[in-house]
Amino acid sequence: MERGADFAEVYVERNEFTAVTLEEDKVKSAQNGLSQGVGVRVISGAKVGYAYSDDLDEEALFRAARTAAFIAHGGGSERSFQVTRTPLPTFYRLDDHLAAVEVALKRDLVVRANKAARAYDKRIKQVMCSWADSTKQVLVANTLGRLAEDTQDLCRLSTMVVAEGKKDERRTGSFGGGGRVSFKHFDTFTPELVAREAARQAIAGLGAADAEAGQQTVVLAPGWSGILLHEAVGHGLEADFIRKGTSLFTGKLGQKVASDLVTVIDDGTMANARGSLNVDDEGNAAQFKVLIERGELKGYMYDSLNAKLMGQQTTGSGRRESFKHLPMPRMTNTYLAPGEDTPEDILRSVDKGVYCANFGGGQVDITNGNFVFEVSEAYEIKKGKLGRPLKGVTLIGVGPEALKNVSKVGNDPKPDPGMGTCGKDGQSVPVGVGLPTLRIDNMTVGGTKVGGAR
Amino acid sequence: MSATNYEALAKKIVARALKRGARQAEAFLQVGRSADVRVRDGEIEDLTQATSKGVGVRVFVTNRLGFVWTSDFDPSSLDTIIDRAIALAQMSAPNPLNGLPDQDTLGKFPDVGALYDEEVASLPPDWKINASIEMEKVIKAFDPRITAMDSVGAGESVSEVYLASSAGVHGSYQGTSVYLYASPVASENGQLQTSYWYDAKRFFEDLASPESVAKKAAERAVRLLGAKKVKSQKCPIVLDPTMAAGFIASIAGAANGDAVFKRSSFLASKLGKQIAPEHVTITDDGLRKRGLATSPFDGEGVPTRRTPLVERGVLKAFLYDAFTARKAKTKSTGNASRGYRSLPSIGVNNLVLEPGTKTPEQIIKEIPNGFYVTAMLGHGANTVTGEYSRGANGLWIENGELTRPVQEVTVAGNLNDMLMQLDAIGNDLTFHGSTGASTIRFKELTVSGE
Repeated sequence: MERGADFAEVYVERNEFTAVTLEEDKVKSAQNGLSQGVGVRVISGAKVGYAYSDDLDEEALFRAARTAAFIAHGGGSERSFQVTRTPLPTFYRLDDHLAAVEVALKRDLVVRANKAARAYDKRIKQVMCSWADSTKQVLVANTLGRLAEDTQDLCRLSTMVVAEGKKDERRTGSFGGGGRVSFKHFDTFTPELVAREAARQAIAGLGAADAEAGQQTVVLAPGWSGILLHEAVGHGLEADFIRKGTSLFTGKLGQKVASDLVTVIDDGTMANARGSLNVDDEGNAAQFKVLIERGELKGYMYDSLNAKLMGQQTTGSGRRESFKHLPMPRMTNTYLAPGEDTPEDILRSVDKGVYCANFGGGQVDITNGNFVFEVSEAYEIKKGKLGRPLKGVTLIGVGPEALKNVSKVGNDPKPDPGMGTCGKDGQSVPVGVGLPTLRIDNMTVGGTKVGGAR
Repeated sequence: MSATNYEALAKKIVARALKRGARQAEAFLQVGRSADVRVRDGEIEDLTQATSKGVGVRVFVTNRLGFVWTSDFDPSSLDTIIDRAIALAQMSAPNPLNGLPDQDTLGKFPDVGALYDEEVASLPPDWKINASIEMEKVIKAFDPRITAMDSVGAGESVSEVYLASSAGVHGSYQGTSVYLYASPVASENGQLQTSYWYDAKRFFEDLASPESVAKKAAERAVRLLGAKKVKSQKCPIVLDPTMAAGFIASIAGAANGDAVFKRSSFLASKLGKQIAPEHVTITDDGLRKRGLATSPFDGEGVPTRRTPLVERGVLKAFLYDAFTARKAKTKSTGNASRGYRSLPSIGVNNLVLEPGTKTPEQIIKEIPNGFYVTAMLGHGANTVTGEYSRGANGLWIENGELTRPVQEVTVAGNLNDMLMQLDAIGNDLTFHGSTGASTIRFKELTVSGE
């Protein structure tokens, strides 16, 4: 502050990781990691200085502070600030921190998953299972007097399989889940359940037909398909893009951006969910936020810097991957509120279309709104019924247009099983998504077969 | 800590692990510093400076593997994690394939030339700021339809690697990198379009000028204004060098020896076969002078080399690290890639698609109706099944000319067919990062739109 900055913040982190991987029927490795360090952020007007180091001694801290303050050019004085501890809610209470659970127990989960996947069908030829957990302790203190500490556990059990069919045909399947949950979670979300679902997907895809390219009606299965929402609108509502004018949702508050059936929520307070936070990475409480209500744009997601520059309040959306990164507005758990149709009625309403049962990944260009996402398990819909499996299906669209084409929303809301990681500007953070069964009309389906309407 | 001290520390860690019961041990240590700036409206938006370090310790207790990593170099903390590595190994499955690289794959490191530029290491802080401000000015002046900036910035880094192992490997190298990037937003009639351009090099004198990076970024954003869907159809597809580099990287990903061994690669059964026309040659070049991914040895101390993957259209080789090589009864190709936080796994060094003879203009001129792709969305290439489907933006080609902008379509095919359909390669070899490619053309792929 002696250089006249407006704001300074210290972020201290210690993160312990454990991972176990299994492939070709053998536990390939068991590993442990420790990452610790400090990031110092100084803000002067709209200018941000950041320095980080994995040394925690006093000299390194002062050096980081001086470096971060390089951006401030005024005169100030060195002074101390009173900080008070912020009382925190607990959205994830665990019996034991995951770092304290014996590695042998984690190993047993991947061994069981491997066995179950191989037993599912003899056409399953490759099985890769992994366990990963981390126990992250963070402390944030700033010159506004805020002091917050949190311990954030996170884990995920995953299985990926390759099935081989006739004539060298190969299909992959993958499934996994976890969250900010106790190790006990895997008593009910068992490795067998994870493995069988991965194996089921791969086997179901054998013999899949080429998808027809062009505009079609699509029905999305509930749960993990919430990634569509995350890509199609979520990123475009992050305040940094709004402030810079680079998102197509800039200046559209209060406007109709989706069908009346669409209500989108970002909720950092869901119990034990992967994207939940007691406190964000700037020391602010996570919130329940309605982003779109019955098709109308209600709000953006703010970190404290963008909130201040835009005359708003933070929404507890300031997140960073680690002490090596600057915080920025990010999603937590993003989902679509349920509607009134049953999933069966939605399927029955489609004469010809594509049912998207499972998804790979997605990506969005927040500026022109183009998004894509890869459908890893798809079926044709004929006269209201599921038909043959389809391969190589990709959905592409422009966010608001796709949301305006939402014509039915199911009454079956479902969160994903806890396997999402979101990347932005090179930073990865855990997120949750969720969706009820959804019908979208006139969606462009990418495929290799060009139909009659050429 | 000085270089000699880090070297000594890596050796000390290995010695300690052996003393604690490891049959073999290895320490992979990285140290670095970096600085990055972004500007907005002629001022610093953010400036980040960092120092970092860490070590990954791999131990083999008989033939069981344990791995730990840490950024805490305090001696007692290091002792603790070495003990933990031993304990983790005791819990892993025994595997006779485990172990450090075999002696016959080790040896003298190749002369890869200089990787470190003193000029980059001693750049003054205001270089980044001035270069970024200049880029921002050039972009704003380029076209009145440029209305915003996603980011404009520059930075540099210095990194050091130290490796010591009980297989007798002791090595280190230092490298620098310096980069410029710009991502402007153009708008017209309510539509926004963005693009980006960047350059990254080891040596300052090789780096593109701020002006050229800025112009390229601006031009690529502005020309997409007014983009629309097109009808679904089969037609020739041209990828610009940046998009072509992504395609080549997918092919190299399928040449991963581990995926091949597990038959999880569409190239698994193609070794020695013609997989592309004769003009296609793709090389993994660990020795490329001043290459961003050039180094004297890989992540486990095996000397790097040039490995032709595809030569005159014939699939010549797969890429291996020591573990997979042993499994596949072959030798490591020096492709163990890693950071200190991860175990070695197979990765590419510098990847190069040999340039052809046609200019990009000629390649486009020969197309009556087709699509010139300048940006893609999604991961798209499934190297297990060979399916390829990605979102694409670019310009439509009519009668050999670039005409209207296109968005919201996908380009799809199968990597096997795409390789065979690769009917033209340009003479405009461009390195973006560590992958070099030219303009390429596929005879016919499927575009999905309306």
